[in-house]
Amino acid sequence: MSHSAGSASPRPASQRLMHLAVVGAAALVVAGGVAFYYASKGARQGVAGDAITVTIKDGVCDPNTITVAAGPATFTIVNKSDRALEWEILDGVMVIEERENIAPGISQTLQAKLKPGDYEITCGLLNSPRGTLHVTPSAASDAEAARPALRAYLGPLAEFQVFLVTQANSLVKVTQALDGAIRAGDLEKARQAYQSARTPYKQIEPMADQFADLHNTIDPVADFLERREQDPAFTGFHRIEYGLYTDKRTAGLEPYSAKLLADVTALKDRIRGMRILPEQIARGAQRLVASMAATKVAVGVDHYAQTDLADFDANIAGVSRMMTLLKPVAMTAAPQVVADIEARLTDIDNALKSLRGPDKFPAYDSVNGDSRKALSQKMQALADAIGKFNAAVGLE
Amino acid sequence: MQLKLRMSASLFALSIAVLPGAALAEVSPLDLVQPIADYKIYVSENSEKLVTDTKAFTDAVKAGDVEKAKSLFGSTRMSYEAIEPIAELFSDLDGSIDSRADDHEMAEKDPEFTGFHRIEYGLFEKNSAEGLAPVADKLMVDVTELNKRIADLTLPPEKVVGGAAVLMEEVAATKISGEEDRYSHTDLWDFKANFDGSRKIFDLVRPLIEKDEAAFVTKVSANFDAVDTTLAKYRTTDGYQLYDKLSEDDRKLLAAAVNTLAEDLSTLRGKLGLN
Amino acid sequence: MTANDKGPVTNRRNILFGVGAAGGVLAAGLGKAMSAERRNEQVTDAPVSDNTRQRQPFYGTHQAGIITPRPAAGMIAAFDVLATAPEDVERLFRTLSQRIAFLMQGGEPPVFDDKLPPSDSGILGPLVPPDNLTMTVSLGSSFFERRDWLAPHKPARLSRMKAFRNDALDADLCHGDLALQISSNTPDTNIHALRDIIKTMPDLLVLRWKQEGSVPVLPPKPDGSHESARNFLGFRDGSANPDANNTALMDRIVWVTENSDEPAWARAGTYQVVRIIRNFVERWDRTPLGEQERIIGRNKATGAPFSGATEHDVPDYSKDPEGTVTPLDAHIRLANMRTHASEANLILRRPFNYSNGVSKSGQLEQGLLFICYQADLEKGFITVQHQLDGEPLEEYIKPIGGGFFFTLPGPLDDSDFLGRTLLEAAGHAVTRVRS
Repeated sequence: MSHSAGSASPRPASQRLMHLAVVGAAALVVAGGVAFYYASKGARQGVAGDAITVTIKDGVCDPNTITVAAGPATFTIVNKSDRALEWEILDGVMVIEERENIAPGISQTLQAKLKPGDYEITCGLLNSPRGTLHVTPSAASDAEAARPALRAYLGPLAEFQVFLVTQANSLVKVTQALDGAIRAGDLEKARQAYQSARTPYKQIEPMADQFADLHNTIDPVADFLERREQDPAFTGFHRIEYGLYTDKRTAGLEPYSAKLLADVTALKDRIRGMRILPEQIARGAQRLVASMAATKVAVGVDHYAQTDLADFDANIAGVSRMMTLLKPVAMTAAPQVVADIEARLTDIDNALKSLRGPDKFPAYDSVNGDSRKALSQKMQALADAIGKFNAAVGLE
Repeated sequence: MQLKLRMSASLFALSIAVLPGAALAEVSPLDLVQPIADYKIYVSENSEKLVTDTKAFTDAVKAGDVEKAKSLFGSTRMSYEAIEPIAELFSDLDGSIDSRADDHEMAEKDPEFTGFHRIEYGLFEKNSAEGLAPVADKLMVDVTELNKRIADLTLPPEKVVGGAAVLMEEVAATKISGEEDRYSHTDLWDFKANFDGSRKIFDLVRPLIEKDEAAFVTKVSANFDAVDTTLAKYRTTDGYQLYDKLSEDDRKLLAAAVNTLAEDLSTLRGKLGLN
Repeated sequence: MTANDKGPVTNRRNILFGVGAAGGVLAAGLGKAMSAERRNEQVTDAPVSDNTRQRQPFYGTHQAGIITPRPAAGMIAAFDVLATAPEDVERLFRTLSQRIAFLMQGGEPPVFDDKLPPSDSGILGPLVPPDNLTMTVSLGSSFFERRDWLAPHKPARLSRMKAFRNDALDADLCHGDLALQISSNTPDTNIHALRDIIKTMPDLLVLRWKQEGSVPVLPPKPDGSHESARNFLGFRDGSANPDANNTALMDRIVWVTENSDEPAWARAGTYQVVRIIRNFVERWDRTPLGEQERIIGRNKATGAPFSGATEHDVPDYSKDPEGTVTPLDAHIRLANMRTHASEANLILRRPFNYSNGVSKSGQLEQGLLFICYQADLEKGFITVQHQLDGEPLEEYIKPIGGGFFFTLPGPLDDSDFLGRTLLEAAGHAVTRVRS
């Protein structure tokens, strides 16, 4: 419909109304945005102060060529001719705005919200030569023109949901294997299952804000608990990791693996019905990467198994998937931001690859402070790049 | 700005009141995320099944086991037919996997005539697997590629919702006559898959319109039920009877149902706010 | 035969035209009297129209039926040509020319002894009206390729139509040695002409396929302006057609001229493309209006492009590079990008709508009998169709037949005949005798 709404062709009255309604709705939205803009940037003058005066006399506009920045503009039309006239801003054959019946000697104001481009202005009678109105792009017009409709996120959101569901299903499956191995007392198998289970969980982790309660029982780190490893709240992955790698046994882990299985199953069901908003994708990715940059990369979280690099790799794979899904929506609106995020992701990918051995990541305690610091900085750069995303596509 | 705001607001209110479009249910785009995600999973499951089934089918063809290949033909196609609205988004693969002889100028003799129906022609018309091995290999490559492309595809929402009607359109335009599987006459297998695929989409979005479009939902469901009941009459232990067993009365019943479904489901996108 | 009939028919025509014109005036003033008179009409009375006297000239630099305004009824009939030797081909061309000259002129066919079959099918009565008839003769590549002595003289770009991406060609509806485009005011006149050709040249021509079509008739507009007719998708078709009254433009777009690298005999000819394009009308009718309009790129009611108000407004895509006004894959945008470069790809379209019957699946067999003319087949239709490959409209249309042909130059006068320049170029001496 949007295409035909832009058409000036004669249409049934209902369709013209629809067109007006669309314009009206857009004006409402923009008016709100503009109000906010001025409230926050109080320093700038109000629109009325910037009114452009156009004097019309003898079929000529003075000035006859006007240049304004895109966005709302106010025109004061002064009729110095001896006939009533109407003043119009035209885009080809389409009237963008008009003020009718301006009596001789009277001035009237007209407000228009203009998109960048060249327009014509009428100067008195229909056959009077027309003046020119140049509308130059402004930051606000760029952002508005660029803002994708909510509908554009539908495909990516659905695909993201599929991704989360797929990962959650695989998480449940591997956690079942982990639980089975622990109950069977098979340490080696349990360790393998533990490591396999981390991958899907870490890919989902960027959305952990949406299931904070489960995240706190699935993945708490002893560092943040009052009694550390002895704390009763020390459950989930790391508790099992502690058993498998520090105590080097499965005995006593059964309640933890059973609880973990229950939690990831609950998570799977929760994800199934989770309603994710477009802005939550970049926000979740940004928060996770920022927290990696701030602490996780420096000190690690897999204290007992030292498998942090694999965790990071999965985290980044999840983030990468999320940003790839958003890419088609943002390509027009924010190509630079998209390119920046992609470059940062590649950077981290390369860094992780260079740390990786021929078949697996080395233990994290073999990664020295300098390497960790370099990785942290790359994470921070990625977090910063993703942090610009929502604003660039008008999601804030 | 004051004046403009008031004007816009009143115009907007007016338009809601008079536009026929305003009668359509209010569905937020976000409400469609879940159905589309579920549909993607349905499509992925089917395309994976297609790969598995096609492997068994093409293995039989290549082994020269005509009888076994024949017996697998109808069922192998079902997972393709069920997801046709998505599968045919890749027109190159759709052409090489599922084109019919009459899509090609030289018909059965055309070198471009490949895929399921080319193999069907060999197996059922010539009762031989001779010369079919390269066609079978190509089909396997193509369905594998399709599965991969589907996995990477962000489903276009309007194609998903529109797909319910598209499936019915295809049956109405070129399948109800029995010309799809003209050598094997396994058309009823295809019908079943087409109807199931269409109904899957309808069922997924149904909760979004159930409240505002109760009569529509009831009518469409009843037509799907009528189709199911009719097709059920032709069920066999392992599939469906041949198309020529379909009675003239039942063919007409199916044709009427498919046209009514096509007509009704064509409004589904609009009802869900997708244009 | 022609000479015999020409005099009286011309006279009769003039007389009749006089009456017709007066009748028009009378009709305008005496509407009531007319409707009163109508009470005496009978169910099976023939519908009456002055248009049966409309006549197009057969002789001229170019054949008629190309830049001639398209009448309401059209047909393409494709034939295989049996004649192989130069003298037989000459007989074919001469006979065709004679028959077309007579049919376009109108007149009384000779009356034979009634123990013999009549000379004319008689379906238009003993006096054949011209009825705006044109018959346009074109040759397919096979015509040249199957005759060694003509092969070297094949027009440079003439090829056998190959299937495009969305085509599902039916071999029984494709190609041919010779294509006859027949158009006139009524389907019956076209059928009469076709039956005349078939009856006259059974030893020279074998009918391969034919497709008839029509164009909806509109009431005249009060301001005398014209609108393009609608196709079976309900959209105006031909809005962007180049101006057929602009001779310089036609010389550039339609006619082979001395500036071209085509053989000299082909000058004043043109390439004809015929495509039978089935429309899935049931499905189209179930498509939301907004989507129909986006697929085509025009407002359905007015025919205006999205950036304009009337049918003939020219969209400026340079202002819409991302397709926010007219989608990038809209039919009209892909077909004609309206750039300086796309000027080279202009074609003159002259299509008809067709409606045949019911498909095996019980759906209407309807669509477009697409016909277009261009000086350069490759830069014209072939390029445009490749641009259209993959367009969203493909879901609703399926080309099933047609062919590429070269339309012969026109016969200059009644001492000339169609195809003479080709025969001469091939070294076959012909004599020009006034018939």
